Amino acid sequence: MAKTSLDKKFDRIRDLEEAGKLKSSSGSRALRKLLSNRLAVVGIAIFLVILLSSIFAPLITSHDPQKIDLRSMLQSPSWEHIFGTDRTGRDVFARILYGGRVSILVGLGSALVSASFGVAIGCYSGYRGGWIDTIALRVSEIFMSFPQIILVLLLVSIVGQSLFNLIVIFVISGWGAMYRLARARMLSLREEEYVQALQSFGVSTFKICYKHILPNALGPIMVNVTLTTAMFILAEAGLSFLGLGVPLSIPTWGNILNVAQDLRVLQNNWWMWLPVGAVISLFVLSVNFIGDGLRDSTDPTLQG
Amino acid sequence: MLTFIVRRLLITLPMMLVISFLVYLGLELTPGDAVSHMIDPEVANEVTPEQLAQLRAAYGLDKSFIERYGIWLVNIVQGNFGHSLSGGVSISAIVLDRLPATLELSVFALLFSTLIGCVLGTISALRRGSATDSTLTVVGMLGVSIPEFFFGLVAILIFALHLNWLPVGGRLMPGDESFIDHLPNIILPGIVLSLMMTAGVMRYSRSAMLDSLSREFIRTARSKGLPEWRINLVHGFRVALTPVVVLIGFRLPTLIGGSVIIEEVFQWPGVGSEFIEAVRGSDYPLVMSIALMSVFAVLMASLIVDVLTALIDPRVRLG
Amino acid sequence: MSQQTALSVKDLKTYFYTNKRCNKAVNGVSFDIKKGSTLCIVGESGCGKSVTASTIMQLLPRLSRIEEGSITYNSDAGEIAIHELERDGAEMKRIRGSEIAMIFQDPMTALNPVYTIGFQIAESLQYHTDLNKSQIRARTIELLANMGIPSPEQRVDEYPHHYSGGMRQRAMIAMAMSCNPKILIADEPTTALDVTIQAQIFELMEKLKTENDTAIMLITHDMGVVAELADDVAVMYMGNIVEAGTVDDVLRRPRHPYTKALLESIPVLGRGRSQDIKSIRGATPDPYDRPKGCQFAPRCDFATDACNQMPAEEQLSDTHRVMCWQHEELKQNA
Ligand SMILES: Nc1ncnc2c1ncn2[C@@H]1O[C@H](COP(=O)(O)OP(=O)(O)OP(=O)(O)O)[C@@H](O)[C@H]1O
Ligand SMILES: [Mg+2]
Repeated sequence: MAKTSLDKKFDRIRDLEEAGKLKSSSGSRALRKLLSNRLAVVGIAIFLVILLSSIFAPLITSHDPQKIDLRSMLQSPSWEHIFGTDRTGRDVFARILYGGRVSILVGLGSALVSASFGVAIGCYSGYRGGWIDTIALRVSEIFMSFPQIILVLLLVSIVGQSLFNLIVIFVISGWGAMYRLARARMLSLREEEYVQALQSFGVSTFKICYKHILPNALGPIMVNVTLTTAMFILAEAGLSFLGLGVPLSIPTWGNILNVAQDLRVLQNNWWMWLPVGAVISLFVLSVNFIGDGLRDSTDPTLQG
Repeated sequence: MLTFIVRRLLITLPMMLVISFLVYLGLELTPGDAVSHMIDPEVANEVTPEQLAQLRAAYGLDKSFIERYGIWLVNIVQGNFGHSLSGGVSISAIVLDRLPATLELSVFALLFSTLIGCVLGTISALRRGSATDSTLTVVGMLGVSIPEFFFGLVAILIFALHLNWLPVGGRLMPGDESFIDHLPNIILPGIVLSLMMTAGVMRYSRSAMLDSLSREFIRTARSKGLPEWRINLVHGFRVALTPVVVLIGFRLPTLIGGSVIIEEVFQWPGVGSEFIEAVRGSDYPLVMSIALMSVFAVLMASLIVDVLTALIDPRVRLG
Repeated sequence: MSQQTALSVKDLKTYFYTNKRCNKAVNGVSFDIKKGSTLCIVGESGCGKSVTASTIMQLLPRLSRIEEGSITYNSDAGEIAIHELERDGAEMKRIRGSEIAMIFQDPMTALNPVYTIGFQIAESLQYHTDLNKSQIRARTIELLANMGIPSPEQRVDEYPHHYSGGMRQRAMIAMAMSCNPKILIADEPTTALDVTIQAQIFELMEKLKTENDTAIMLITHDMGVVAELADDVAVMYMGNIVEAGTVDDVLRRPRHPYTKALLESIPVLGRGRSQDIKSIRGATPDPYDRPKGCQFAPRCDFATDACNQMPAEEQLSDTHRVMCWQHEELKQNA
């Protein structure tokens, strides 16, 4: 029988094992698995590059994202303006860097805040049960039966557009998923013996909730935070693209893309929308890679 | 089966009631009262103050909040959503006019993404660890990461503006009559809209399939000496189907939401682009009505998914 | 190979390669199963009993392989070298289910929940016999009836979740017996069931053995079951068969310290409370960090320096063999 590549791999492992070279490795299993996941490492790298260059935007570009320069309108990319300039002569590269600050803030911030709300309510109501639980569950059901974008647009039309409003609206539309996750975890953990043992020792409900149960549910919660971050970044981009998200005066990734609604820009000035679209896609991709890596590394049932 | 559907409906109804109440509350709190959007503004201009008062009485605006809600609700159940603030057209007429376009697009995207997503996910799972699998995994990841509208823009640039193969947007060209006539128009928005859903279905059906293939009954099937296709499809895929159908149901709101932006990008004359117009113009009655209808659509869809799940899973069906 | 032997396993090694490590789960086992007789394999959890069984059927997971050794199946049409067959090739598929069949430990998960019992039994018949549809159905009902399922005409169209655990295991046996296999491998078929059901299942298997001349390989933890059912016994420890022989050889004249310890660790019914039950000291070693010589040495009361070397198999009589440096010691002790 011809040796397949799998067979060769097996031979190699067997030889190493017999030479006693393979030792059971120590250290955090989850972290090790995450770092051995190539896509997750790529994700972390892209994420850090985009995040850091947004934060340190002034060190990377000397252009002011807001400065209108009518003498250099609609310039295609050059050494001076890496991604060219827009219709009022603003440097697109600088706008992408500074826009990243707001977009990432909105995405990550809303995800973290809605996670905190969702987890806090979920843990508590899941642990206590009874009418508190029923009410919280029903309320989350109501929010979750709206398609997300429609709920967001509905709220935007009522409260108006502003950065702060947008974050609040995202939190309102996003806490439900996290709440359900935390609650489900709590319900199954509540039944476990060590929790019941703690209870019989008279440890307070509140303490049990947050000190003993929460760390156990941390893996899936972190995975969910990454997924929500990706979702909010996409939502911000979509809304601002429509002109209904963050006010146009603030540069965000979505607002920069807004110009592409004009077919002439779309066809003739690719630099005004293509790079920023690519940056959004890359960033969301990196977040998703991290999320997937986290899921695989925190899930004990997977091995490979 | 029938009792199952009825029981399921009984759970859905109170939800609808509460949501309609919230929506009505929103309507009351936003500018413009029931009269201004329940009667045609063109007629309203000629109405004298007494007549207006009479009208208000007739529509029950002098009644208590709860009663007004009741009247509004009865109207809605009868299909009367009142009038839009701009133009004063009846909301039901607007939506009915635009609904076919939206349905066409969503059904296209739903079928496309379910079919392609399941096939690719299954292939990926059956070839796990192979180059095909890694490629599909990365492609699927890209699919859920690229904003749909950005993908739409690129598609317009390439296929409509540069290659001139397909129209930039719109649905019905003058002279178009049958579905075949405007097939070129639906291809771009349909595929772009299904992209994210396809990627989602693919990723999910891959993991559902892997899960199903690792179960004991697969080993039993193998120990019976069944052919490989039968083990993988008749046993593996059939069991993976249930969670996939549930996921598609969960993703339907995303599809409905996604169609809002895609319709705008491709100037598809559906309910979604009307909704965006309404939000831009602060046309509250229209915004609220469409939102309410979308919730209704989502709840109906999840009902259908539950029925489907029951149909394909004997454990649910037979209790 | 004698005509009386149904299956002969020689020096079989099966290694697992999960998590980039090599686990020598089965490390050189040899045994024969005779037609119309039962071989019981006993041993602590994790010693490689199930892996041995799956290896015979080539039902191993992807990250594992047969390293060395041979599995020879004595079919009506001559000897077949199973270890040389392609894992999921046509010949292997023909043998599985029709010539060698298997029953699994947990009847709750071993049946597909979305198909009726009848469908799952009929599948075997469909692929291994020439029966037509109505004949298959009749045979399916007959099989269920033979297994003592009440009103099989209705039960055949029910789903696994309508069956109790015992009934599911009977359905599994019906499935395994559907094509009259020459060899039946039962991997702890009653662990998940209660004692009365257990007795009924074993009665069924016994009946099949005498009626169809089926060779049975029964994996179990339960020494009581061994005494009751076995013709031959093999005791496994950490991937080796440390002692093998007829029931009398092994149960009455154990010559391996592990067998002895295993026998002393079970209570015997009717001997009352005063009996002195010893559990085996220590725990089974980590499969990735095995002792160098005899695998049992660290837990063995008789261990000496010699035990740092792997003992060879030693034939004590025609039927009885043991793998221990100290077996003479035990003979005097017994
Ligand atoms: N699918 C698998 N993947 C990796 N390792 C496995 C697999 N199945 C078994 N093993 C390993 O092979 C060794 C023997 O396992 P096996 O299942 O044969 O034990 P067993 O004797 O059947 O135990 P039990 O009585 O608990 O069923 C163990 O070390 C186990 O970790
Ligand atoms: Mg086992």
